[in-house]
Amino acid sequence: MESERDDGRSPSQLRPLSCARNVLHRSHGSASWSQGDTKVLAAVYGPKAGTKKNENPEKACIEVIWKPKTGQIGKQEKEFEMILKRTLQSICILTLNPNTTTSIIIQVVNDDGALLVCAINAACAALIDAGIPLKHLAVAICCCLAEGGYVILDPTKLEEQKMRGFAYLVFPNSIVSVLPKGSSHVEG
Amino acid sequence: MDGRLANRWRLTVNEKKFIETALASNLRIDGRNPLEYRKIIIKFGREDGSSEVQLGQTHVMGFVTGQLVQPYQDRQNEGMLLIFTEFSPMAGPSFDPGHPGESAVELGRIVDRGLRDSRAVDTESLCVLSGKLVWAIRIDLHIVDNGGNLIDAANIAALAALLTFRRPECTLGGDDGQEVIVHPPEEREPLPLIVHHLPVAITFAFLGSEGKLVVDPTHSEEAVMAGRLIATVNANGDICAIQKAGGEGVPQSAIMHCLQLASMCAISITKKINSAPWDYVFCSKSNFIL
Repeated sequence: MESERDDGRSPSQLRPLSCARNVLHRSHGSASWSQGDTKVLAAVYGPKAGTKKNENPEKACIEVIWKPKTGQIGKQEKEFEMILKRTLQSICILTLNPNTTTSIIIQVVNDDGALLVCAINAACAALIDAGIPLKHLAVAICCCLAEGGYVILDPTKLEEQKMRGFAYLVFPNSIVSVLPKGSSHVEG
Repeated sequence: MDGRLANRWRLTVNEKKFIETALASNLRIDGRNPLEYRKIIIKFGREDGSSEVQLGQTHVMGFVTGQLVQPYQDRQNEGMLLIFTEFSPMAGPSFDPGHPGESAVELGRIVDRGLRDSRAVDTESLCVLSGKLVWAIRIDLHIVDNGGNLIDAANIAALAALLTFRRPECTLGGDDGQEVIVHPPEEREPLPLIVHHLPVAITFAFLGSEGKLVVDPTHSEEAVMAGRLIATVNANGDICAIQKAGGEGVPQSAIMHCLQLASMCAISITKKINSAPWDYVFCSKSNFIL
C-alpha cells in the first residue's frame, strides 16, 4: 500500500545521508553523521588506562557519554547511553587491550527523528576513525509501524509522533576490513 | 597504542622553552604575529538560534532556546537570561563528565557578565505579562574541541546564536485580557531578540618572565602562560568587563595597552559576527564552493 509521506519519500526511502570524519583535533577519532536534518557528532578517546569500579578488568571497557542539545541529563539520556554501550561492546574486540577504557562521547547537534540510529552510525564511524579494532561494522536503521499497519523507514520527528511503534535494527556488516583513506600510504 | 594511553596531556619542557624563545623574537609557533587573531568561521544550524564557531582548532556550539516562566520576585518586569556551559569530554582528555571544573565555571561567568551586566540583550522586551509570565532565554554552550582560547570562541558562539534566535509572538487575549496566546510560527512571524550591542571577549596571555603579550593563545601557549587577562569590550569602545584572575602581576601600563588593543580587535570581530548570518545564507543558498 503506497502512501504519501510529508516530504514526498516512499515508505522505504531513506533521507540523504552524509558523514564526515576527523572533524575534531583533540580527540583520537571523530565523526559527524547526518540523516536529513538529524545530525550527531561522535568523538572517541582511547584506550585510556584503567577501568571503572564495576567493570571487568580482564576485558577492555567501553564508556558512552551522551550529551543532549539542551537541558539536563535525564533518564532518556541514560537509556541511550546504555543501549549504545551494549551495541558497541558487541562490535569491539574486547580481549585485545584488557584493563583499558575507551570513551565515546555523543553530542546531539540537531534532532529530527531517528536520533539513536544516527548516533550508533556516528559512533561506529568515529571508532573507525580512531583505529579501534572492530569485529565488524554496526549499521543501524529505524523502522516504524504507522497507523495503517504498514512499515516506514527513517521517520522524521513529526512522523515519529504519529507512529504506533518503532524498532531500531542494528546489523553487523560483513565487509572484510575498512581502512581510513591515507592510512595505507607510507612516506619513504 | 602506547602513546595514546594518556589520560592527561602534558607539555614537555622542550616545547615550553621553544615557545618562550620564539616569542623573544616575536614569533609564535603557528606563524602568527603576537597581536593577530586566528581565523574565525561562524556557521549556523537548521533551527533558529543555533551556531557553530571555529576559532582555529577550537570548536564551540551555541544553542538558544526560549521558555515562558514566572519572573523573579524582585524583577517582575524583566525576562531572564540563563547561560549554561558544558565542557564536553569531547573537547579534551582531561575534562570529566561530572561536575564542571573551575575553568568551566569561569567561562560561564565571563560570558554571563558580558551579556547580562552590560545589558546587551534587552530583558524588558521579554516581559509578556508583568509579574506572571516572562520569557526565559537559555543559552547552552557546548565546547566540542579545545584548541585554546575557549572564552572568546564561546562568547562569539553565544552572540551569533542570540542574533539568529527567533521567539514566537505572544498576544494578550481572552475574556479579561489576562490570557496569553502564543502564536505558532505558521501563524505569525517569530520575533528576533533586541540586542543593543555586542560585547566581545578578547583574551590576552602573558608569557615568559618579561610578560610578553599575545592575543588569542593556542592550547600550548595556554599551558605555558604565566598570567591571563580577558577584556570584554564592544565596538563602541565601551569596556563591559575585565577579568584578571591570578597569575603573574602585570604593570598598569600593560593593562591600558591591552584595553586599547582589545577595542581594535573588537571592531573587526563585531563586523564579522554581524555579517555572518548573511554570508552563511548566501553561501548555502547558492552553488558556490568557497
